Amino acid sequence: MAFPQKAAAVVGVYTTEQARGMERSMWSLELEAIKGALDDAGLSHTQVDGLIPMAYETPLNLHMAWAEQLGGRPITYMDVGNGSSAVAKATNAIAAGMANVVVIYFANCNNPNGPRQLKVQSKAPRVPDWQFMVHGAYMSVWYAMWTQLYMHEFGTDQEVFAEYPVQMRANAMLKPDSMMGHKGPITVEDVLSSRMIATPLHLLECPLDNDGGYAIVVASAEIARDCKKDPVWVLGGAEATFTDAYMTIPVPWNEPKGQAVRRCTEMAFDMAGVTHDEIDVAGLYDCYAVTVARDLEEMGFCKLGEGADYMKEGHLYRGGKMPTNTDGGLMANSHNGNPSGMHTIEVVRQLRGECGERQLDDPKIGVTLAQGWSVHGLAGTLVMAAD
Amino acid sequence: MEIDPDQYLRPLPRKEPFNAPFWEGLERGEFLVTKCRDCGDWNWIPYEGCRSCLSQNLEWTAISGKGRLMTFSVVHRGPPTFGTEPYGVALVEMKEKPRSIVVLANIVETDFDTLEIGMPMELVFENIPGENITMYRVKAA
Repeated sequence: MAFPQKAAAVVGVYTTEQARGMERSMWSLELEAIKGALDDAGLSHTQVDGLIPMAYETPLNLHMAWAEQLGGRPITYMDVGNGSSAVAKATNAIAAGMANVVVIYFANCNNPNGPRQLKVQSKAPRVPDWQFMVHGAYMSVWYAMWTQLYMHEFGTDQEVFAEYPVQMRANAMLKPDSMMGHKGPITVEDVLSSRMIATPLHLLECPLDNDGGYAIVVASAEIARDCKKDPVWVLGGAEATFTDAYMTIPVPWNEPKGQAVRRCTEMAFDMAGVTHDEIDVAGLYDCYAVTVARDLEEMGFCKLGEGADYMKEGHLYRGGKMPTNTDGGLMANSHNGNPSGMHTIEVVRQLRGECGERQLDDPKIGVTLAQGWSVHGLAGTLVMAAD
Repeated sequence: MEIDPDQYLRPLPRKEPFNAPFWEGLERGEFLVTKCRDCGDWNWIPYEGCRSCLSQNLEWTAISGKGRLMTFSVVHRGPPTFGTEPYGVALVEMKEKPRSIVVLANIVETDFDTLEIGMPMELVFENIPGENITMYRVKAA
C-alpha cells in the first residue's frame, strides 16, 4: 500500500504570541490558535471533524471536551502525534474517509521544562520510582551528558556546536515575532562565555523555555483547492519510537544502525519518493546542537559521527544547500514545551512564500523532523511540497 | 519559601509496590536488578516482563556495583532544592551483561575535575535523614 500522496494538504497554520510568564490559560491559547489556523485557511470551525491535541499525555476525554468546545458535533477522528507525524496521520485518515478537516494543536502556559519546574516544598516530594528529577537531571542535564559523550566519541570541537545558536540568532533577527531576534546578534565567544548551566553546555547553548500555542489545519485535496492560500501538499510521513522516556539507557548510546529517527525518516522518504538532495528547506528538532548533529546522521544526510562536520560546513545555515530552522528554532524563536509543530509551521510558511525578509528563494520540497530523547524517543518525519 | 539547608527537599522515589525488593535491597547495601531466569538477561529499569523473551520469571539479583563512567555532567544551574553548589550527574554502565545496565545517579565523594568518560565507578548508598528511604549514588572507584 502506498502513502496517499496529495490526498490532503496543510491549509492553515497559526502561532500565538510566544513569551515567558504569560497570564493566559492553556485552553485560551489553544482556542486562539485553532481559530487563527482555521481563519488562515478560510474554513469554519463547523467543518472540523478530526482532532489531534498534542498534549504529552492525551486522555480521550480531552478530545471529547474539545468536541464540545467546537460546537458539540460528532468528531470522527481522534488521534495523538507530534508536529510531523500528526500531519501524516491526518492525511491518511482523510484519504480513508475518516475525516475531512483535522486540527492539530498545542499550547503551554506556566509549565516550564527547565529547572524552574521543580517548586520548593516543605517536604521532599515523592515521584515515580525511576523519575530523573530525583537526581536533578532535567533536560539540559541529559543533553549535556549526550553532548559530552558525542564530543568524546567523535572529537567534536566546542566551537562547532557553539556556532549553531549564533546562526539561529541571526535567523531569528529576520523574524519579527521571534523571542530572541530583537536582542541582536551573538558570537561564538558570547556563547562560550555565557553562564555555565551543565558542563559542557552554556546558557546560550540551551533552548528557550516559554509559553505559547500553535495550530495546524490539514484538509482533503478537494477542500484544500478552495482555501484562502495555496495548499502545501503532504507527500509522506511516518513516526517511530523504541524506548521509554529517559529511564532505560541503551548501550551503545550512538547506535550505528540508527534508532527511531532513522526508521521514520527512511519510511517518510520512501513514501514521498524524494531523495536527500531534493530537500530545499528543513525544520529539524533542535533543542541542543548535539540534537541537530544526531538528527542529520540518523536521517541519512551524513554518517554517524559526521553530523557536527556537516553543521560546520554550513549546509543548514542561510545560503547553505538545505537552510534549516529559518525561524531561529528552539533556541531563538520559541520552545513552548512541545514545540515540534513550530518546525512544521515554519516550513509550511517557507513553501507558501510568505516569510518576508527571511524567505528562501522559491523552495519546492521541505522536510520536518520531530524527536525526543536525542533521536531515540518519539520521532516523526514529514515531507511536504509547495503547490 | 525559605530552604532549610539541613532538610532533604529534593524529589524522592515513591517506592512502588512492584519495586519493593529493590528499595529493601538498598537498605542492606545491595543494588538489585531483575534477571531473567529463562534467558539470563539483566533488565534495568525493571519491567514486568523480560525485554528479550517476555518471560515473567524474573529474579531480583544483586549486582557487583562496579562499572564505568558512560558520560556525566557537572550541573551549575539546578532546581532550587539542589542548592547553589554544583552537583554531578552520571550515567554508569555496570559490568554485568548481557543487556547493559546503565544507572543514572548523582556523583558523590569524587573530585569533579578528575571525571573522565570510561573511568571505573562504583555504587554507594546514602540513607536519607528524616525519610524512609536509602538512595543509591555513584563515586570514583
